[in-house]
Amino acid sequence: MKLTEDMCRELRDRAFEIRVLSLEMITYSTWGHIGGSFSMAELLAVLYFHAMDIDPNQPKWENRDRLILSKAHGSPGLYAALASRGFIDRDRIYDYCEPGGLEGHTHTESAPGIEASGGPLGMGLSVSLGMALALRRKENPRSRVFCIMGDGELNEGNNWEAAMAASHYRADNLIGIVDYNKVVAKSFLWEAMSVEPLADKWRAFGWKVIEVDGHDLQEIATAVHRARWIEPNGTPTVIIAHTVKGKGVEQAEFNYKWHTHAPDPATADAMLRELCRNYDKPERGYSRLAESSTKESFYGGE
Amino acid sequence: MAESSQASAKKNAQTREMRDAFGDTLVELGNLYEDMVFLDADLHTSTKATTFKKAFPDRFYQVGIAEQNLFGLAAGFATEGFIAIPSTFAAFASRRALDQLAISICFPALNVKIPGSYVGVPTSRAGASHNCIEDIAVMRALPNLKVADPGTGAELAAVMRRSLETPGPVYYRVTRYGVPELFDDGYEFEWGKGVTLRTGSDVTLVGTGVMTHRCLSAAEALATQGVQAEVLHMPSIKPMDSELLRRSAQKTRCVVTAENATINGGFGAAVAETLSESCPVPVYRIGVRDQFVESGGVEDLFEAHQMQPRHIVQAAKHVMEMREEMSSWLVHT
Repeated sequence: MKLTEDMCRELRDRAFEIRVLSLEMITYSTWGHIGGSFSMAELLAVLYFHAMDIDPNQPKWENRDRLILSKAHGSPGLYAALASRGFIDRDRIYDYCEPGGLEGHTHTESAPGIEASGGPLGMGLSVSLGMALALRRKENPRSRVFCIMGDGELNEGNNWEAAMAASHYRADNLIGIVDYNKVVAKSFLWEAMSVEPLADKWRAFGWKVIEVDGHDLQEIATAVHRARWIEPNGTPTVIIAHTVKGKGVEQAEFNYKWHTHAPDPATADAMLRELCRNYDKPERGYSRLAESSTKESFYGGE
Repeated sequence: MAESSQASAKKNAQTREMRDAFGDTLVELGNLYEDMVFLDADLHTSTKATTFKKAFPDRFYQVGIAEQNLFGLAAGFATEGFIAIPSTFAAFASRRALDQLAISICFPALNVKIPGSYVGVPTSRAGASHNCIEDIAVMRALPNLKVADPGTGAELAAVMRRSLETPGPVYYRVTRYGVPELFDDGYEFEWGKGVTLRTGSDVTLVGTGVMTHRCLSAAEALATQGVQAEVLHMPSIKPMDSELLRRSAQKTRCVVTAENATINGGFGAAVAETLSESCPVPVYRIGVRDQFVESGGVEDLFEAHQMQPRHIVQAAKHVMEMREEMSSWLVHT
């Protein structure tokens, strides 16, 4: 499944946009998770703009593919992808963490295209499996359920209950994706609680495993294609995507201090300009810099 | 011989365990609702859901001993339009899987109906780990979740029927215990509606679940002593019938609550909260008092936790005395 040059360019632009919108919303709301939103930007770009069968005009279309963000604190990334894909109005990103706006962690009532509410870690794979089994009951053979998990949340036992059940129920319409960015909230993952040997763990639970560079659009697209069309024969598949937390902005990369950390407007402005340079885009800073002084300050809160 | 077995059959009918009504009603509802799926965490012979497994094997999902996954799966099924029934003991529903229940199910208000089995004092001899006393307190703290504790088998069936007609998440208790039936087969349960089982003007006894029957016994004992107790039954804990409560409390000006659970944050606490905002009167709560319910025989445990009818009688006299004492405060102020 070779991506065309045009598609590569398109997906690269979408990954850029997902990062820009994430940073805008986190900065304006003064709260959110940059590291985990940036690490999965390419994953979201491939899924929402290439691999998933979805229709922004019919968010509840029965034959759509479903995506659950188990690492629900990556909500800025997901909301950004939904805004970029046309599920929600772009201006709504400035309602992030406001009453009646986009909920801090993903919530079904916040926006069309959000398939599950989350926040507590380690719960999304169970919900995804429930949906996958429900699709079987509805005799819907085409739709797939994608579940993006964080690597740190694989410390949670609930994931492995779900992993066990998914292979028991032969749920090959369920595709797990691990955003393996190696960094958790307060340290590196290997220091907090190592999940290695990760691929062996999934295999031992009866899953097929595909490992990719989670920032390589072609590798991701090939893996998702394989997981969707080639591997399903009675076992679920997991894509372990090796990523860099905070990918795209140097000071946030591979840095747990930027797990939950909203930049102040000046820092955000510099970060956005850096992003533009990295993507060969016309330099553009933080769009709401002028009004930031009136915003209640909670920058950098962990 | 014939007479004796007839008497025994009648006794069985009267004291049939509520979990048997649960098993029968599941099948009744399974026939009515083709989109109802049952998820079991390896307890179906204890909860009596084996009936559903036999009747609808294709809609019965065995998820193993994994309650967190049980509730996550239920959320997934409900998201896709099914009515999901995740079934386990109340202890594990309210403790092991609370996060999943709160955020995966209650926050998005999914159509999940949760039976909590093995509640309170009358369960088995399994002890503190299985005798669930905190579920009322825990469940009523969750937004979007309706909570019921039915008092008899017929009422449990009525709660189950109503739950299937009610959008959103519901938690109801299933007691492994039998009490004489108080309601006929046509009885209908309504959310937020209590039932006046006996009228009186001296003291109000408010029961939920199987404790209502003990309130009735206490009321009979009080009547022999010249005290006319009003007995209210509140199967719907959330929402609560605050109007019925207030009217009775205005009349009697003293209240005793009784629940098959801890009194900390539970049903009695809910009654006290309601009355303190609408009709402040002395309230005494009968129930487990900040202790675990360890292994033991059912009546021994009811005795140990002071949940017998005579304890309700004592509590009634206590609140009546408090009412008089409080009247004297008012005179002096």
